[in-house]
Amino acid sequence: MGFPLSFWDISLWLAITAIVLLITSELISPYYGKTNLLINKKRLRNVAIIVSTLFLITVAIRIATIIISP
Amino acid sequence: MHIRINSTGLAIVTMLLLGTISLIASIGYNSSILAFIGLGLVFWGEVLLYIRPEEYTKKVLLEAALSPSLTTLNEMIQEFAYKGDVTYLPPKYFTDPETTKIYISKHKDTSLPTPKQVQKYENQPVARTPRGMLLTPPGIQLSKLLEKSLGTTFIRTDLKNLQQNLPRLFIENLEIAENLEIRAEDDMTKSTTIHAKITKPFYADTFKEAEEPSQLTGSIGGPICSAIAIAITKATSKPVRITDTKSSEDGNTIEASYEIIEE
Repeated sequence: MGFPLSFWDISLWLAITAIVLLITSELISPYYGKTNLLINKKRLRNVAIIVSTLFLITVAIRIATIIISP
Repeated sequence: MHIRINSTGLAIVTMLLLGTISLIASIGYNSSILAFIGLGLVFWGEVLLYIRPEEYTKKVLLEAALSPSLTTLNEMIQEFAYKGDVTYLPPKYFTDPETTKIYISKHKDTSLPTPKQVQKYENQPVARTPRGMLLTPPGIQLSKLLEKSLGTTFIRTDLKNLQQNLPRLFIENLEIAENLEIRAEDDMTKSTTIHAKITKPFYADTFKEAEEPSQLTGSIGGPICSAIAIAITKATSKPVRITDTKSSEDGNTIEASYEIIEE
């Protein structure tokens, strides 16, 4: 018994989440009309950047593995 | 007892709870689908928790609380029968380098007091002298908030810097307005005039109270116009007058002109 997702599964999940968050944070407007959910746009953008950076780190690890492995 | 259920809070708790259960179940059943579902739910629950503003107040409440103060200020000036010029004095007129106040002269076209004369009365909340009175501007707290967002005081900036940074502070940082345009008009023979165009401002309704007709030359301005005047007077270190303010019929656009007075 262990966590069923591999490192590359997590990488793929991070990639999809990062795209969704980056697009949302760019398209969202502070003037979105009346809604009960108030969004701090700056924080959403920070989350998008962090998730994108995490994905890029997994890509860097992937490249490093390809270069190092014989 | 009436309890208001916060739907967003309820959604966050549900997402976090279901996500955690799904993640634990994924380990037990060795299921990658359950793991993806759990990861997604926990992540979006946390994101929703993080992106919610810490504090917020309904706009109508803020405007309702602010309007009487502006009306009182206008009534007080009328009661004291001050009919002169309204001038925002820069910090060099005061002993405290962060202070900015409005000087209203008793009669029209009188010269500004010297820093020494002003310093005698600067610590009084409403300092009245035979020549004029000193008042705390309505936009003082807003200007402090702008300085906090900028990370520095306006004294350390200049007019060019202000033109670049103020729109960003208004639109992105504090979301006070949908757009802000600042244009400087340098007339070599006279003084510099700054034009500010504010689109969809936050305090649009209080603008009408602040602009009630008075016998004064120039205007004190509402919180936004006043905060811009404070920023200009601090950045240029020169007295500033709000020479003209006008609002569009629908109240969505406010245009204000500021005159930088050469001493």
